[in-house]
Amino acid sequence: MTADPFLEIRNVSKQFGATKALESVSLTLYPGEVHALLGENGAGKSTLIKIMTGIYQPDSGEILLQGRPISLHNSAQAQNHGIAAIYQEPLVFPDLNIAENIFISHQRRNPMVRWGKLYRDAEKVLAQLGVALDVRALARGLPLAAQQTVEIAKAISMDVRVLIMDEPTASLSIHEVKHLFGLVRNLRKAGVAILFISHRLDEVFEIADRVTVFRDGQFISTAPVAEVTPERAIQDMVGREIGDIFVKEPSPRGDVVLSVKDLSREPRFRNINFELHAGEVLGLAGLVGAGRTDVALALFGIAPAQNGHITYLGKEVRLHSPKQATQMGIVYVPEDRRQHGLVLPMSLTANISLPSVKNYRNQVGMVQHDKEQTTAEHYRQQLTIRTSSLSMPAGKLSGGNQQKVVLSKWLNTNPRLLILDEPTRGIDVGAKQEVHRLINNLAQQGMAILMISSDLPEVLAMSDRILVMREGQQMGIFERHEATQETIMAAAIGQTLERAANE
Amino acid sequence: MNKIRRWVPLQRLREFSLVIILIIVVLIFGNQIDNYYTPRTFNRISSTVALITLVAVGQTLVVLTRNVDLSVGSVVGFTAYYVGRYVSKNEDISPVMLAALAMSIGAGMGLINGLLVAYGRIPAIVVTLGTMAIYRGVLVEYSDSKSVATRQLPDWIKELPQESILKYGEYELRALPAIALVAAIIFFFLLLYTSFGRRLYAIGSSPEAANLAGIRAPRMVTLAFTLCGAMAGLGGMLYLARFGTITVDAARGMELQVVAAVVVGGVNILGGSGTVLGAMLGAILIGTIEQSLIRMNINEFWKDALLGLCIIIAVSVDRILINQLTPWWSRTELQRMPEEHHAAA
Repeated sequence: MTADPFLEIRNVSKQFGATKALESVSLTLYPGEVHALLGENGAGKSTLIKIMTGIYQPDSGEILLQGRPISLHNSAQAQNHGIAAIYQEPLVFPDLNIAENIFISHQRRNPMVRWGKLYRDAEKVLAQLGVALDVRALARGLPLAAQQTVEIAKAISMDVRVLIMDEPTASLSIHEVKHLFGLVRNLRKAGVAILFISHRLDEVFEIADRVTVFRDGQFISTAPVAEVTPERAIQDMVGREIGDIFVKEPSPRGDVVLSVKDLSREPRFRNINFELHAGEVLGLAGLVGAGRTDVALALFGIAPAQNGHITYLGKEVRLHSPKQATQMGIVYVPEDRRQHGLVLPMSLTANISLPSVKNYRNQVGMVQHDKEQTTAEHYRQQLTIRTSSLSMPAGKLSGGNQQKVVLSKWLNTNPRLLILDEPTRGIDVGAKQEVHRLINNLAQQGMAILMISSDLPEVLAMSDRILVMREGQQMGIFERHEATQETIMAAAIGQTLERAANE
Repeated sequence: MNKIRRWVPLQRLREFSLVIILIIVVLIFGNQIDNYYTPRTFNRISSTVALITLVAVGQTLVVLTRNVDLSVGSVVGFTAYYVGRYVSKNEDISPVMLAALAMSIGAGMGLINGLLVAYGRIPAIVVTLGTMAIYRGVLVEYSDSKSVATRQLPDWIKELPQESILKYGEYELRALPAIALVAAIIFFFLLLYTSFGRRLYAIGSSPEAANLAGIRAPRMVTLAFTLCGAMAGLGGMLYLARFGTITVDAARGMELQVVAAVVVGGVNILGGSGTVLGAMLGAILIGTIEQSLIRMNINEFWKDALLGLCIIIAVSVDRILINQLTPWWSRTELQRMPEEHHAAA
């Protein structure tokens, strides 16, 4: 590392509303190095990538290219400086053929398309990568690994100097990963600086020269890979302040409400097994993309499982629609409450009565607004929804109050099983505690609760047991007393089991 | 079979199936209508098709970017009137200058649509529904509800629709279809061989990926709307030539025929795929059905209903065919070269 740094990020901050996505982080990339960036969900990795590729502009701080400050206002400018990114979900154009997909960003150099040359050049670039693809075929329906190859070809064809790879191996098989690493090594030899983001620690240790860890939008450490151990990396990633988080009180464990056996829906998840008792909170931990939400959607009937058995209240059931699930007493509080949880322009009252609006009709089928009002008022008091009026549109409320409205709406259907997907994401500390208290009270009253959460302290404080998933697989169920942030994170990134699986 | 799949894109297959449908439609009408296969039928249909085609190729650009321009009927009406009024006062203006005038007016109206959609971020259907009414309103105001009459026009414009470019027996290629054909060919090359054209496909195919690829979508979308307006403007001049008498109601409802032609022609209303050739075939199909139903003396209302039915059938059949065929047709496998090969790379 005798050379000068190629790209320097200095004290960059970025804020979205009240959330600090990045707080004065710095990162230096040297030509010819593979620099791994580690961090939990929400550590700020994605925000940093978007700043480096010109999609977001930093609130403060600077970016230096070969020592000179630059500003990036869009991805075209980033590309002109030789900065390109390959995203976790490849972004190909399904209606364009593979050759066009590779060269789409170049076309400004030549206003006319010479198809013959385009095809030949595309074949050349792919040959450099050691793959053969029909460059005339449309990208629609291309397998993920092939799409990723197209993205890499695109980056290479642009004379890339800095290549950002955001979890490039997430959807690849072991063989494909090996091949990808060959490409990465070639690029490194050619002097490209590579920012490599992955949750698979063993891959990081195999390919990276240096490792940087972010946590909660802050820079934690940078060190040469030789000085980093998996244990230390995990500690840096999860060493989050616990603070005064509400801790669930023990509740009496009742009968089995839900039992799931070998539940699978390829390619999202497979062989999921657990039992959930009345009065119990089962935490569902894992990284983004581990398939946790997909399990929830299968249980709510939105994307039914293909294989396996679901036993609910002692009877085997097939869940195929949300309507059926709701009637049986299974409800799902989605992660994205603005999109999926609420009808934003409608009043609080109308939102709360929406799933059970049938119960509010009079003899001729008209909705009785006074009855709706009574219900809404009941939940406003019980859940302390802070609003000046119940006829206010739900979209005007703060995140925490919106979440309480979503909870009211589902609690009003008298569920037996409550599925919560990231119940406290994006809501402030006070409201978070109230939601935690509510979860606690519901469990005391005998409700069975399945809680998906990426917030490790929350999972540890609120769950009786914790099921950890990784890449669609169940990594284990931990009793509350045997779980720590480190053990959960290690399971979520497959650290202990990875080697055995690779054998 | 693999060779065919490789060299014949699905789109060609789609266009081929449109040709088949067109032949079937013509055979059915030929069976129902006496003296159907005559030069007269051909000429009538071809002038209708010419107008729809001209506007439809412009519309294709807009639809490819996941937008739609509903104001084209009003643009055609306004330019037809304005150009008619202008030429009746300035008889010595050259045809080329008049066409340039018509296209500039149309382009200006298209530019307004494009700016509002691309930079104002208002959905295209809302913007163009609004400008459809506004442009028509401007026409009513400007014309003071008077009409342009055929006798006010110079001879060359009155005779333009009868002008024959190519002749084969009694069948002729007249000026209007010839102009439409030239326009279609130009736009065909624009979409296939310029990076502007390819970027329109990219924007419609995946706006998110287009943004990440550094494509300036707003600029491209504005340009697409402007070109669409220019073609509608040219369409207005030809509309004047064909009908002579222009009232404030001129070309009202044409936007629906045009959008129908584009959609029937296999241009995906959700953007990203479709060709000018398809849109032109769509225009031919719509024009043929419409004019033939008129020949059958079918009541105006039934004519529209039948036309609507044909559109729904054509699009559903196309969807089903394409959905069935796509996965099978464009199957691509990622092949790896032997190990030693890429070790050298």
